[in-house]
Amino acid sequence: MNKSYAVLPCNGLDKCSGSISKEVAEMLSENGESEIICPVFYRIAETRYNKLATEKPLLVIDGCATRCASKLAVEKNLKISEKINITDEAKHNNIILGKSLRLNENELKLAKIIFEKLTTEEKLDTAAKDIFDFPMDINYEVYKKDKFVFRVPTNEGFYFNENDVWVYIIGNKARIGVTDYVQKSLSDIMYFTPASIGNEVEQFEDAGSIESGKAVFEIISPVSGRITAINNKIIESPELINQNPYEQGWIMEMELSDFINDMELLHDFESYFPVLKRKVDEFHG
Amino acid sequence: MDDSKLMNDSTFMGVSREKIDWSPRIDYNKCNYCMECVEFCPHKVFEVRENEEQKLIVKNPNNCVVFCRACSKTCGLDALDFPDKGKTTAHIKLIRKETAKNE
Repeated sequence: MNKSYAVLPCNGLDKCSGSISKEVAEMLSENGESEIICPVFYRIAETRYNKLATEKPLLVIDGCATRCASKLAVEKNLKISEKINITDEAKHNNIILGKSLRLNENELKLAKIIFEKLTTEEKLDTAAKDIFDFPMDINYEVYKKDKFVFRVPTNEGFYFNENDVWVYIIGNKARIGVTDYVQKSLSDIMYFTPASIGNEVEQFEDAGSIESGKAVFEIISPVSGRITAINNKIIESPELINQNPYEQGWIMEMELSDFINDMELLHDFESYFPVLKRKVDEFHG
Repeated sequence: MDDSKLMNDSTFMGVSREKIDWSPRIDYNKCNYCMECVEFCPHKVFEVRENEEQKLIVKNPNNCVVFCRACSKTCGLDALDFPDKGKTTAHIKLIRKETAKNE
């Protein structure tokens, strides 16, 4: 069965990827129950689409990294259920986008690939098996700056990279998330793009991203290994990362490939805490 | 040396920031000077030069957070590129080893 969405494409006339966003939106509405939200009209007359935008799961189609459609969704306080970026999809499919706004054969093919991807029900087997023995009692050291409170876990087993991503290690398994510094800097997180389960990731490579109206934060993996689980709850409710990025807002789990080596470029609590303090003083000062 | 000095802005994992070559490279054939990256980066890595042919330059490469590539994600034209991560990691480890030897 086809999924049905409220589709918000960027519909940009600035480059070809905008035309593809429109093409995909049209394919979705012609071949199922999905309905299109016109971004131009929505900006000035939101009542026209408010009902639709909340009744059906919202699919946002951004043409490029400027993310006009995502930003519009944030502006209108919409909950994004799924999101796709045409430029990224083009890269994944090795399709080079042309300069013309009119779609050539390859670009139409890309639109078709994306359409099919969006309408195929995927059974995500991402459920974290409860074998990971995460500590129930996490102790925090707190750094306060004005009304902001930044927590850092002090439990043994927690490590941090200087890109503000934490990892908790048990044997050859790891759980990963972002620190309070990241979630506070982004403010309200509205979307989480997970990396794929089974992917091999190197230390300091991107492993998914989280984003707010302000910015996109790439999760820079503190360790190398294979992704074994993604926290499904934050796909549904990314705000959990704002609530507590160390507990219910964790991001993913990995099987480690070379932790002894990776550890060399990681901090423990003792050495990360001063790094955090300095960052807070500089950017929230 | 106290912590604040050890962890000051000019180091990454204890290595002097100047010794780490990590910053965005602008492809001027692609850049349309939309300045999204300038607005995005809180570290003042870029500088706008309105009256010059290249209206955007990487003014402070060493302000760039090592391994951060977030500005490139704001670039609709994919005009920002970064050095190889693996080589950079190996380089940092090497310097750390050399420093440890000399101490």
